[in-house]
Amino acid sequence: MFGYWDALYFVLVFIVGLILAYLLDKWAKKSGMGTREVGEGTKIFISGEDPEKVIPGFEHLEGSYTGRNVMWGLTYALKRFFTALRGEHTGLLTDYVSYLIITTAFVMMVLLIWG
Amino acid sequence: MNGEAILPYLIIIPLFGAFSMPIVSLIGRKAREAWAVIISGATLAVASALFYSVWEDRGIIVYTLGAKSPLGQGVSFPIRIVWEVDLFGAIMVLMVALVSFLAVVYSLGYMKHDTGLDKYYTLIIVLELGMLGIAITGDLFNFYVFLEIMSIASYALVAFRNDTWEGIEAGIKYMFVGSIASSFILLGIALLYGQYGTLTMSYLAVKLAQNPTVTAKVALALFIAGLLFKSGASPVHMWLADAHPAAPSSISAMLSGLVIKVGGVYALARLLFSIYSPLAYKALRAYGYPYINMNTVGWAIIIFACLTLIIGNAMAVIQTDMKRLLAYSSVGQIGYILLGLGIGLAAYGSHTGEVALAGAIYHTFNHALMKALLFLIAGVVIHELGTRDLNELSGLAKTMPKTTFAFLIGAAAIIGMPPLNGFASKWLIYESSAIFNPILGAIAIIGTAFCTAAYVRVLYTFFGRPSERVMKAKDPEASMLWPIIILAVAIVIMGLFPWQISEKVMLPAAKALEDQLAYISAVLGGA
Repeated sequence: MFGYWDALYFVLVFIVGLILAYLLDKWAKKSGMGTREVGEGTKIFISGEDPEKVIPGFEHLEGSYTGRNVMWGLTYALKRFFTALRGEHTGLLTDYVSYLIITTAFVMMVLLIWG
Repeated sequence: MNGEAILPYLIIIPLFGAFSMPIVSLIGRKAREAWAVIISGATLAVASALFYSVWEDRGIIVYTLGAKSPLGQGVSFPIRIVWEVDLFGAIMVLMVALVSFLAVVYSLGYMKHDTGLDKYYTLIIVLELGMLGIAITGDLFNFYVFLEIMSIASYALVAFRNDTWEGIEAGIKYMFVGSIASSFILLGIALLYGQYGTLTMSYLAVKLAQNPTVTAKVALALFIAGLLFKSGASPVHMWLADAHPAAPSSISAMLSGLVIKVGGVYALARLLFSIYSPLAYKALRAYGYPYINMNTVGWAIIIFACLTLIIGNAMAVIQTDMKRLLAYSSVGQIGYILLGLGIGLAAYGSHTGEVALAGAIYHTFNHALMKALLFLIAGVVIHELGTRDLNELSGLAKTMPKTTFAFLIGAAAIIGMPPLNGFASKWLIYESSAIFNPILGAIAIIGTAFCTAAYVRVLYTFFGRPSERVMKAKDPEASMLWPIIILAVAIVIMGLFPWQISEKVMLPAAKALEDQLAYISAVLGGA
């Protein structure tokens, strides 16, 4: 409906993209002011997480990059949404049953009124 | 090939295999494992032949238990249990048999250090049997029996590792709420039987179209609620996030890949299209007769679908437990399948509706492969490292390159990245939802944004700097690696021929599901 698609074209476009990225990288390195290849400049920035920093109690994680902060921006921006969602997932059996009853009642009401 | 002749073997083989398992186990461990592989392999062979037969003939296979014809002697209505397989059912059969076979092969290595394996292999084959029964049955009570066979095997398998509190707690919760949902479904069946006096789905469809009563609406509400629970749709998805991570990973692959599809979405689609039909609704409404408004039902499903795909995918973003993340991701993907199903109902009769339905069926199959792959990989990680905490899995790519690469394929496919199989099915759903209602299209895309965020976190961890813990890990043994490789290859190959699969298999399956008259006449014939 939205036009034609062939997966092989994607592979082709992907390869062209890789070549372009490589050429861009080459060009940037040649024309730039130079990249620091030792010291602080080589550190990877992962959402403010310093891989060298050791957090007390988490020594076993020292020197490892983890994905826990990668989506920091998203989780911080939607903090209230995620807090509300977490709050509903209580793990209590009674809550599970309540939701099942509520769902049944909702569907039955919809069907009896508009069905 | 005569599909009718081979259909009973789809039940006979696993049934025989499951009940003979304790006896075979007496011979020894190797014999038990070989028996499990032979039984699930033979079931896969029968399932493949059945699928090919249905696909080639584009027909419906009907098998009557205990007689040649489902109709009673001297009467013109069916009185016997019938099994009825159209292309939609055949796809489910193939999916169940394939993933179950791979899960059994994977278990050879994965469950090596566990005890009570005679029970394990019996239960895993019983679980497969229950799902196959649901996919082929044309009788409502027979459906319930298979649903319970499947559910009880699932409850037991979730709590299989009873040396930790997690499995037992999750199993008990799942069993308790699952039994309530099952009893709703049973109550729905009882109401329909009381009202119309038949349990044969096709004959019930005729009686329902002749006289759609309030009782039928109440029964429908009970079915929808019960089956939404079994599908893991929000807000009744919470059991899933407990049960699927707690089970052994081979079982998680079957629960997330198969059980919620066949026992939930497939059953719901069968009820909504083959018994309560939008076709009957349109015809009755046009002639001014009483009807059950399937448009409303479609919108109710759409509302639950939107909730499911947002909540499931969003909850996956904030998980630190790898298997729990995958479980929530399953909830999110069920949202897409339900969205396709809901639009298929609400836009019945239009090309949009047909494409949405084809997308839902396609995504059901694709997600079974993708989620089975991801859970099997999670199992490998647990097997090697003894943890599923994402914070402790940094740099896994260094020591487990094959496993990580397979995870990359699975994650990219589930996000919907071309050229992998998830792209095509998600595209069909996006496309049809955007045409049907642009707001629904936007909601589907937001769900995918959350889904991407969740998997990027895992991939970032795997490709990060190796932590000390992962340095000891290595890629798994052959029996665990091969199922992973087969699933990954299947995902890539299916991704390379998306429209061919869509046009040759999925769209005809959607048409078969929509064609209620063919479903009815296959059983009733000229009666």
